[in-house]
Amino acid sequence: MRFFLSLWLLTTSFYALSEDKNVIYQYKKYEKFDLGNLEVKGELIAPGDISVRERGRRRFELDLFSRKNFDNFQKRDVDSIR
Amino acid sequence: MKYFIFMILSFHAMSETLSQRYEKDKYYYTALNEYFLETYDKHKSKEDLERLERLLYFTGIELLEDYETKLLEQYTTSSTSFILGRRFAQSKQYKKALSYFEKVHEEHRYFPETQLSKSKIYGDQAESLKESEALERCKASSVKQENQIESVKIKRYYRMIFEICQVSIARELYKKGNFRESINAYDKITKNSYKWPYIILEKAWAYYQLGDYNRTLGLLLTYKSPLLESYFFPEAEYLAALSYFRLCLFEDSLIIAKQYDQFYRPRFTELYKVLDKNRASQNYFYGLMFNSTDESKNNDPFVKQMISRLKKQIRYSLDFNTVFKIDQEIKKILEIQDKAERYHLLKHLISVKENMINKINYNTKTDIFNFLESVPFFSSELFKVNLEIISRKRDLVYEKHDLTSNRSRGDYSNVKRSRFEQFWTFEGAFWADELGDYSLGLKSNCELKEVEGSREGQ
Repeated sequence: MRFFLSLWLLTTSFYALSEDKNVIYQYKKYEKFDLGNLEVKGELIAPGDISVRERGRRRFELDLFSRKNFDNFQKRDVDSIR
Repeated sequence: MKYFIFMILSFHAMSETLSQRYEKDKYYYTALNEYFLETYDKHKSKEDLERLERLLYFTGIELLEDYETKLLEQYTTSSTSFILGRRFAQSKQYKKALSYFEKVHEEHRYFPETQLSKSKIYGDQAESLKESEALERCKASSVKQENQIESVKIKRYYRMIFEICQVSIARELYKKGNFRESINAYDKITKNSYKWPYIILEKAWAYYQLGDYNRTLGLLLTYKSPLLESYFFPEAEYLAALSYFRLCLFEDSLIIAKQYDQFYRPRFTELYKVLDKNRASQNYFYGLMFNSTDESKNNDPFVKQMISRLKKQIRYSLDFNTVFKIDQEIKKILEIQDKAERYHLLKHLISVKENMINKINYNTKTDIFNFLESVPFFSSELFKVNLEIISRKRDLVYEKHDLTSNRSRGDYSNVKRSRFEQFWTFEGAFWADELGDYSLGLKSNCELKEVEGSREGQ
């Protein structure tokens, strides 16, 4: 009995797997829209003034190298003696 | 009686050590080696230590750089203390270094240099007061030694030490933000000094920090004189571009960046080729210094200029001098009749000479390499200045502004000068006495004006 039950389970799962692989989705190959017949409900308004609120541009300044000290020069000088 | 005198003389000769004999015959390098062989495992008397100092007076201490620390620690002389102090300072063991530097006698010939090294340690430890004191002692002792010595070369050595200490004081003031005092300290270095071409750049930075960009640019202009042809610093180009940028003279700044790219890049490539091809060589750079190799004769003038600059360092003078003296001693040893003794002595001296050559080779290579490292750094900084200029220009367009300049920029009214300075216009020639005193008369271009017709266009 157990044997048959496991055999049944194995076959059904095999089928399930094989079905997953063979799924074919089909879309409509041709569809026609008649835009002239489409109705859009709403009001027609003429465009007025477009106003954009000005905001200050944020400036990012690069950190340009500026000498804080001459420590590496000092090391070079001491080393250059001997 | 004759027999008795002969006995005394031969006894005296027998009691004389080998190192003493060599010393008497003026084979100082050989005597130094024998001295260490004779004394390293014995008690060192006062006479022994005095004799070491005497030998080192003739040989210099360059040879001892390779000696083991444990060996040198057994000899408590000022010279060995100085070497050990420097060694520990280099490995950043400052406490030990300072304890050795304390042992260097005040009257000793290395005392000024000891004070300079001490000031460097105090500087690293941010002990400003002790640093200043050490530098003042360095200056005072250098002058004292300089006045006591007859030899012109040694006088020059002490003058250099004095100047390095004086420049260190100026740098310390700069670090603290006392730029005006720093400039005054730099001004104490005379124009005929070996250090002077180097401090132009440092002074230019001090003027930059004070906002005197015209003086900065004028100082950097000094490097364009034929006399200072061999002094080229990527940092000087960058500082000039930065100063133009601060004056909002963007086009001038961009020209410098372009020139830098055209001038340094091919030379950088040339130098890199030299370095890379001979990276593993033990004597190529030594040959380059003496211009002895065929290859070095064909080198780019840029490489030659750099070598001539390196040769002016104290270190190279001392090392070359040591090699020269060893050569002299080798010549003398070749005259010894005893073949076995001659072979033994030559073997030692040749290895000592080889060590010195390796040292010079290594130092030259390192100096060139350090220079090469600064090139890409300032290239990237110049690129940042370029980007910043583009950004500013874009902002001007967006804001419908323009800069004021009409390119007729130089004017005497823009030159800042002290009451002790005279004003002469630059006539296209670099006069030696004027070098380092230039100032441009550029008007700052940072004032904005509205672009004409920008209102109407809206």
